[in-house]
Amino acid sequence: MITFDNVTKRYPSSHEALTGVSFSIERGDIVYVTGHSGAGKSTLLKLVATIERPTSGIVLINNQNVSKLKEATLPFMRRQFGMVFQDHKLLYDRNCYHNVALPLAINGITGHEAGKRIRAALDKVGLLGKEKAMPITLSGGEQQRLAIARAVVSRPSILIADEPTGNLDRNYAADIISLFKAFQQVGVTVIIATHDALGQAQKGNLGLENKVLHLNHGKLAGAGLENAEATT
Amino acid sequence: MNNWFSHHMQTLELVLRRFKTNKLSTLLICLAIGVTLALPSLLYAVLDSAHGLANNVKSESKISIFLTLNHDDAAVENITTALKNEAQINSFKFVSKDDALKNLQATDTNKDVPSSNDILGSLQNNPLPDAFFIEPKQLDNDSVESLKSTLSKLDGVEEVIVDGAWLKRLNALLSLGQKALTIVAGLLAFALIAVISNTIRMQILTQQAEIELSYLIGATKSFIRRPFLYAGALYGLLGGLFALLITYAAILLFNQSLAPLAAEYQADFALHLPSFSVCFVICTLALLLGIIAAYLVASKSLSKSVS
Repeated sequence: MITFDNVTKRYPSSHEALTGVSFSIERGDIVYVTGHSGAGKSTLLKLVATIERPTSGIVLINNQNVSKLKEATLPFMRRQFGMVFQDHKLLYDRNCYHNVALPLAINGITGHEAGKRIRAALDKVGLLGKEKAMPITLSGGEQQRLAIARAVVSRPSILIADEPTGNLDRNYAADIISLFKAFQQVGVTVIIATHDALGQAQKGNLGLENKVLHLNHGKLAGAGLENAEATT
Repeated sequence: MNNWFSHHMQTLELVLRRFKTNKLSTLLICLAIGVTLALPSLLYAVLDSAHGLANNVKSESKISIFLTLNHDDAAVENITTALKNEAQINSFKFVSKDDALKNLQATDTNKDVPSSNDILGSLQNNPLPDAFFIEPKQLDNDSVESLKSTLSKLDGVEEVIVDGAWLKRLNALLSLGQKALTIVAGLLAFALIAVISNTIRMQILTQQAEIELSYLIGATKSFIRRPFLYAGALYGLLGGLFALLITYAAILLFNQSLAPLAAEYQADFALHLPSFSVCFVICTLALLLGIIAAYLVASKSLSKSVS
């Protein structure tokens, strides 16, 4: 479903954020991208989400070469992804309901159908009672869940989360991770970047079936995809 | 098609909602646009009315024909019938040389200087010619000139004089006014684009988070741009309507003072309100300028903010 072949990403007037990265992710996988901060986790996720294009190498998403896509088709490519951003990117000028409504509006879904989907997404993350609340009044964990609701409301086939458990305490983090697992179980491919995945794995939050991409200074450690157990 | 339509209706709703939450600033911006547009509209109204005045003005005569001194009565009759048959002539008046002499003697009232009566009295013959005074139908230069050349070919005509000096001056003034209008309108169109694009730029800045997010999760540029285009169009349209209101109010106010002034000159002159088609053109132009301004600034800001 997602294949990276010898992908390098260099930002202008900067070092190489990623160097010669190759791996592939199958449909329905749950993959953790780990590494120290600055290792290139966010860059890797941006390449997957077609927000960035590789400097060299090939990124295939659903058998489409991202480098060869026209600029105008990229927005439609991006709609296949549900994105949970590191800084949430919630809109503080509108309530929870309208925050979740945005991806649907972009997809041209409005009215009754949109309302049903928004409530279903909020229900899934346990925020159904707060649809009229403003995001600023929510706790950190609730904001994170709101961001997840917004990511899944348009029923993406791939869910990408950048440090979704970053600022949360352990209980909240476990909640969020089990939420992502629930999406994986219904066939969604889940990619999670975290600096703490190994710690989570040791606590039994990551099962043996989970794959880990461990980045070290822009390079994949080991042979690419490994079992969590192998890296611990 | 249906989807497309609902997309646009939604955008319109969104923009109206934003206007509603910023009532005061929206009102002020529309007023600023209205004032900007009202200036050329008023100038247009004044010029249009003055043009009407120039075309409808009634005066005693515009063309004078002086006959040769030694013509016979048949020539006078010939000219009379020719003038009657000429379609370009509204009315004409014949003044014989005897009448002209009497008029001259009657109008000479200055007793202090040796009067022309003394001079005239010393003459044996009446030096004045027979004359026709003609009021043409069309007052523009071309038709007056062609009439003049037709008349000067008639038998017994010594000289045709077009009394068009003041008419030429008025026409020159009007064309000057029209040029001024064009320049003012052009400059103010730029001002309008500046005002609207600045406003839209501010809106884009306040919506920066939403724009960035929308772009990241798959919104097309036209989707992001659309609300701003609608905002620009609405600013233009509302500004145009304000401009019409201002123009109407100003003209009504002017006319109150113009009426006694016109009465002094025994003229029937008032500024008339712009016609429906003029109002339509003003509003459409304002709307188009709004869209252009919004498009320019939105495209520029978007390419900056998403790349």
